[in-house]
Formats: sequence, C-alpha cells, structure tokens
Amino acid sequence: MSNLQVLAKYLPYIFDGSLWSLGLVGAGLGIGFAIGVLMSLGQVYGNPLIRKIVDAYTWFFRGTPLLVQLFLFHWSVFPAIGLRTTALETSMLVLGMRSGAYQSQIFRGSIESIEEGQVLAAKALGLSFWQQSLYVVLPQALRKAVPQLSNEYSIILKDSAVCFVLGVMEIMTRTRYVTIATGIALIPYLIAGALYIALTYLGAKAFDMVYSRIRIQGLVTG
Amino acid sequence: MTAAGEVLRVENLRKRFGKEEVLKGISFKVDRGEVKVIMGPSGAGKSTLLKCIDLLIPPDEGSIWLEGVELTSPGINVNQYRRKIGFVFQEFNLFHHLTAIGNVMLGLTKVRKLPKNEARELAEEALLRVHIGRDLWDKYPAQLSGGQKQRVAIARALAMEPSIMLYDEPTSALDPQLTGEVLQVIKELAESGMTSVIVTHEVGFALEVADELMIMFDGEIIERGNPSEVIYSPESDSAKVFFKKVLRLGGVGR
Ligand SMILES: Nc1ncnc2c1ncn2[C@@H]1O[C@H](COP(=O)(O)OP(=O)(O)OP(=O)(O)O)[C@@H](O)[C@H]1O
Ligand SMILES: [Mg+2]
Repeated sequence: MSNLQVLAKYLPYIFDGSLWSLGLVGAGLGIGFAIGVLMSLGQVYGNPLIRKIVDAYTWFFRGTPLLVQLFLFHWSVFPAIGLRTTALETSMLVLGMRSGAYQSQIFRGSIESIEEGQVLAAKALGLSFWQQSLYVVLPQALRKAVPQLSNEYSIILKDSAVCFVLGVMEIMTRTRYVTIATGIALIPYLIAGALYIALTYLGAKAFDMVYSRIRIQGLVTG
Repeated sequence: MTAAGEVLRVENLRKRFGKEEVLKGISFKVDRGEVKVIMGPSGAGKSTLLKCIDLLIPPDEGSIWLEGVELTSPGINVNQYRRKIGFVFQEFNLFHHLTAIGNVMLGLTKVRKLPKNEARELAEEALLRVHIGRDLWDKYPAQLSGGQKQRVAIARALAMEPSIMLYDEPTSALDPQLTGEVLQVIKELAESGMTSVIVTHEVGFALEVADELMIMFDGEIIERGNPSEVIYSPESDSAKVFFKKVLRLGGVGR
C-alpha cells in the first residue's frame, strides 16, 4: 500500500474526531452558558462582593492561556480537590469555565441594554427577582446575545484543538496520529483545517437560523 | 385601625437623594372609589412619591398603609402587596418580547399563579375594558401605537385586580392626538369606581375626574382641595405661577 492509500484509509478516523470536537464545544458552550448567565446577573444586580468575585473569575479565565488552564486544572486543581477527571472531562470543564467568563461579558452587555423601565414594571406587578430575570430580562437579553454566541461558538471550536495536549481524541489529536503513522504532514493538516472551516460554517448557519426564528416581531435592533 | 373606606394612607413620607430632599413629609389618604389628581412642576417629586408608594423606591421615613396593612413595616413580603397596586408608567414599559395579551397574562400566571386558560380569559376582559380589540391581542409592543401601548399597560395593571391604580403622567409621552383615547379609558375606570391616584398635567382632565386635587411643589403638598377651586383660585404664589403656565399651555381658560 502506498502512503496515500494508507492516508485514505485513515480519513474516516480523522472525520470521527469532529464528533469529539463538537462534544467539547457543546459541553463548553453549555457549561459556559450556565456560568455566564448566573455571573452576568451577579455582575449587573449583585452586591459589591459578588461583583468582585465575578470580576476576579473573568480576569483569570480571560487573562491566562487555555493551555495553562488545562494543565493547571488537570494536574493540580482537580486532583487537589479530589476530582479524578479524565482528559475529556477536564477539557469539557475547563472549556466551560473559560467560555463562562466570556459569555458573562456577552450577557452582561445584553442585560444592560434592556430598559430599566421594563424591570420596574415587572417589579410593580409583584414579580420576584428571579421571576423578573427569568420571564422579562433573560428572554430578551439572550435573544440579543445570539449573534455573539455564534461568535463564541467559532472561537471555542478552535480552542478545542488545544485539548490535544491532554490526548482527547478530537480532530487535532487524530490528525497528529495520522501524520505519524503515514509520514505525511501536509494533507492531513489541510484536511483538519478544512474540517474546522466546515464546522465553523455550519455552526454559524445554525445560529443564524435560530436567530431569525426567535427575533421579536417589529423590533428593529441588532 | 383603618376607616372603613380607606384604601391608601401615606404618613409623613420623606425621601432624599444625596443632599436633595425630594419628599419633605407627604401625608394624605385615599378612600375607596376616590380619584386623587396630583399636579406640580417638573422636579417637584411626583414620580418619586408614586414610586415610594409602590416601594419601587424605598422611602427614608414615614409609613404607607394599604387597606390597613403597613407596607413599610419590616419583614413584609413586598411582592404580595405590589400586585395590589397597579402602576402605569409614563413610558409604558411594556415587555418587548411578549404580545399585548402576553404582557397582560404574565402577572396573572406568575404572580397570581392562575392556570393559563383562566389567565387568558381575565386578560381578554382587561384588554376589552381598555378598548384593545381582538385584532391587536397578538401584536408585539413594537407593532402598536403609543396610545395602544399605554392602554395595554393599563390592562396589564388592571388584570391584577388592584386595590388602587397609580398613574404617573400616563399621557406625557404620547402625541397630542393620542392622549384622548388614554384619558378616556382612565376616566371610564375612575367612573366605574376604581380608586386612583393620577399625576398629570392635563387640566381639563383633572377638572373632570378629580375628587381632590393636590398641588406638589418642591417635595411638599402646598395646596389641596376641590379641583376647580384649586385651579382657578389657588392661594399660594407658587401654585398661581404654575397654573398660569399650565393654563396658557393647555389652552383651558375661563
Ligand atoms: N434616582 C434618583 N437619584 C437622584 N435624584 C433623583 C432620582 N430620581 C429623582 N431624582 C431627583 O428628585 C427630584 C424629583 O424628581 P421626580 O422625578 O420625582 O419629579 P417629578 O415631579 O416626577 O418631575 P417630572 O414632572 O419631570 O416627572 C428631581 O430633582 C430629580 O432630579
Ligand atoms: Mg415624573
């Protein structure tokens, strides 16, 4: 068999990596969403202590490289608190915590863009703080945030490639194995690149579709 | 103890923002079915007063009683009482992401915890009372005119079956040709016995609906009484100056 034939045989192996990559992205976005929503509420409506904590959190996760975070949590923090995580689990959690920092900034902006008057009206009806958030603020703020979430998706997709350093079987890790097995570097990496572009494109389309579905009728804002 | 007909009592209400004392000891009471109109120049503290009554702004001093319950006493569940006070804002403040009927139903399903179908019936009733027809129920706020928005906002408050309605300049953000439909609705509600406190600059409207007119100036009620007496023969100089201005602008004279 020529090297190229071997390479052809390995193609599905690389392609399967995209499921792992998407898994990382999905978990990262999902965990990040939960963290981001809570922290943005804390940052907008919380007391000074809560705001300080949120600030410190976002500074840490936005200010340090993903690579540092992966190593730090996998080899130090998680073991220290008795969490025995697999490489995949660490990667999902770290991507999630990191994305949470970014998403909290996204949601903070969109929450602050909701007029105070609507919150006042919700209060006047007798809605509690959580009801105001759940039924008035977030439904609008999250809609407004969809374009930025789409952006966050494309960033976290590319971030997920870094998880190869822990040996998670995503696109990048598999591509590297193939280059080693076949001795060919160029083509596998081109294929990996093309896969990322395709996933970015499809994801952006999906977010566009969601956005046009949930737009508020008659409201002309970004 | 409360008088039988008393709905709201405000006693010695004080509020300051930084150095500025915005409410300097306001006291009045509103009986069931009574319509109080408050007028006064910009910055007098009218909005602050209404917001303090609904505890949207915490007062510094004084007490507020709603149907014999002191809202300003510590440990009270404010949300339970806020639903009994209907608040209508100058800027409507409708929820943008909900339809007209969705706006009215939210408080019914989430605060009064009514089942959906019951909430919907009550919401429809409230919307019809403010003359918002079936064709507008599923429209979003951005698809409604200012007058329609304000009437939906009134329906939203009304559907909670409040003990009292507070209106803060309900027509000030409207084009002149749209104020009539909103004032008409407020008047109809008042005539049907809805206890109301209305802040407005509409002199003609005040004359029509007010049982008592109070003039606020610089954080105090400087004059109160029968609306036409207060308007046409005010005692204080501040009130005289104020009405001279409003009457000229509004074109209501004698
Ligand atoms: N949240 C606030 N912080 C600081 N000052 C405030 C605040 N709200 C109101 N004020 C001040 O309190 C004073 C009274 O304001 P308020 O809005 O109650 O007046 P108003 O009688 O409703 O006037 P208008 O007719 O313009 O609505 C004003 O001087 C205003 O600047
Ligand atoms: Mg005002």
